[in-house]
Amino acid sequence: MPRTCCTVRGMANDVSAHPIELTGLTKVYGSSKALDGIDLVVSEGSVYGFLGPNGAGKTTTLRILSGLARPTTGRARVLGVDVGAAGNDIRARIGFLPDVPGFYEWMTAEEFLRFAGRLFGLPAAVLDERVEALLDLAGLTGVTTKVGAYSRGMKQRLGVAQALINAPALLMLDEPTSALDPIGRKEVLDMIASLAGRTTVFFSTHILSDVERVCDTVAILDRGRVVVQAPVEELKNRYGARKVILEVTCGTEALSRRFSAESWVTAVACESRTLTLTVSDIEAARLAIPAAVVAEKAGLVRLEGGEVSLEEVFVGLVGGAQ
Amino acid sequence: MRGFGVFLGKEAREILRTWRIWALPGLVVFLALTGPVIAKLTPELLKSMSGTAGMGGVVVTLPKPTWQDAYLQWSKNLTQMITWVLVVMAGGMVSGERKSGTAVLVLTKPISRSAFLLAKFISNAGLVALAAVLGAFSTWAVTLGVFGEAPVRIMVEATAVWLTFAIVLVAVLTLFSAVVDSRLGATFLGFGVLVAFTIASLWGPAADLSPAGLVNAPNAVISGTGGRLLWPLVTSAVATLLFVAGGMCAFSRKEL
Repeated sequence: MPRTCCTVRGMANDVSAHPIELTGLTKVYGSSKALDGIDLVVSEGSVYGFLGPNGAGKTTTLRILSGLARPTTGRARVLGVDVGAAGNDIRARIGFLPDVPGFYEWMTAEEFLRFAGRLFGLPAAVLDERVEALLDLAGLTGVTTKVGAYSRGMKQRLGVAQALINAPALLMLDEPTSALDPIGRKEVLDMIASLAGRTTVFFSTHILSDVERVCDTVAILDRGRVVVQAPVEELKNRYGARKVILEVTCGTEALSRRFSAESWVTAVACESRTLTLTVSDIEAARLAIPAAVVAEKAGLVRLEGGEVSLEEVFVGLVGGAQ
Repeated sequence: MRGFGVFLGKEAREILRTWRIWALPGLVVFLALTGPVIAKLTPELLKSMSGTAGMGGVVVTLPKPTWQDAYLQWSKNLTQMITWVLVVMAGGMVSGERKSGTAVLVLTKPISRSAFLLAKFISNAGLVALAAVLGAFSTWAVTLGVFGEAPVRIMVEATAVWLTFAIVLVAVLTLFSAVVDSRLGATFLGFGVLVAFTIASLWGPAADLSPAGLVNAPNAVISGTGGRLLWPLVTSAVATLLFVAGGMCAFSRKEL
């Protein structure tokens, strides 16, 4: 794909650059370090989960990316432009939903979407079309009550809709599903999932299952640092390869004792005739496990690499430190 | 100034569709309508009280009320109650949007912070001007009806002088509301400036040359005791520009 460039407010704007690039990003509030040297790259078209416990620095990162706050040191680039220099031209290509969106409560959903669209300078015909489509997407078609009377879920759906009014190249959502009931969460996640491949979505959350459900790539943030970033499947495979499930006809207790004594085994869980081993050396495990089954005359039924959930990966990476 | 017109339109609709249309204009018109009636009835009320308990033997003699008393009632309401209400109301013009989260949603769209703040100032100044015009017309009409005489020029001059000072206060509150995070803090600072202007108005040079000269000017215009107001008007215009520009500059640099 040829690299093309255009100029925005006198700055080189590389339109083929990554939608988000963070390099050594830090943010200090007084004596507290909210961000501690974040390096991160978001590829175009991905639904990127920015995962971390409360207070990890997710909202601070999004505030910097959206131009609401400035980094202490390091660099944050959005759509190829440094956020410090990003003006209206860049903001016109971004959709943003803060963690607690505030609406003018005297407006209806349609009025708010029209107001937002006019700020982007959308022509009337385009605005009419987008407002109709987004009200439909948000499940708010025909709702004439004022936003002040909306439920949290309705507001959140309207929040996602308003962030899409400009058909953004980059959509940034801060905890879009937090504090929603299961139905509200499902509705918002369905909206995000429907955008996959059409726009780049950068989506912060502390809810692991949300990331597993809609994101193709994830970065795990802890105490202002990115612990890991990788495609979700790669991450699960990387950590899943360290888990081995062994099912035998008998002798699970003897096998459990034997494996617990091995240096390459870090944990053994025994349930009925199934042993789940967490191993530090997968090669040693592959050689030793069949031999142990034979030695204990256990009768092999099943031997396979275990599936790992993102939650286990997250707890393994972040939980121990806490 | 991209987004200025759209945001100003939102401000205008917000004024028309929320309590804001009733708060200031409603209060001003109510005081404007009742002022001349109170001026007319005050001598009668005091006279009737002279015979009540504790007032025995006291004879209250007041001159016959005129249009001037009605106008002074109007200017007293403007310079006291309405000015204080204005400070309270305008104290949260920006901090209110920040606290409710609407500022974040708007300012991450292609509208500059300067346009946002300027629209806030103009809408609030416009609301004050609308209230002042409605109030002036109301009090003039009722004064004419009650007293049979109501000079237009004096009413226009007194109201215009107060409006100029009120717009300086709106500019002051635009700055404070942009800089201070809480509505209460901005309002307190606004009261501080109002008190400072009031004290300064007692000092000759300040009264002659600065916006402080407009604090008591409406009364002076109506009483016919006012001096030249050129310098207070000029410095008020300059101060308004400086306060708004300072607010725009500070708000552009502020983290939200």
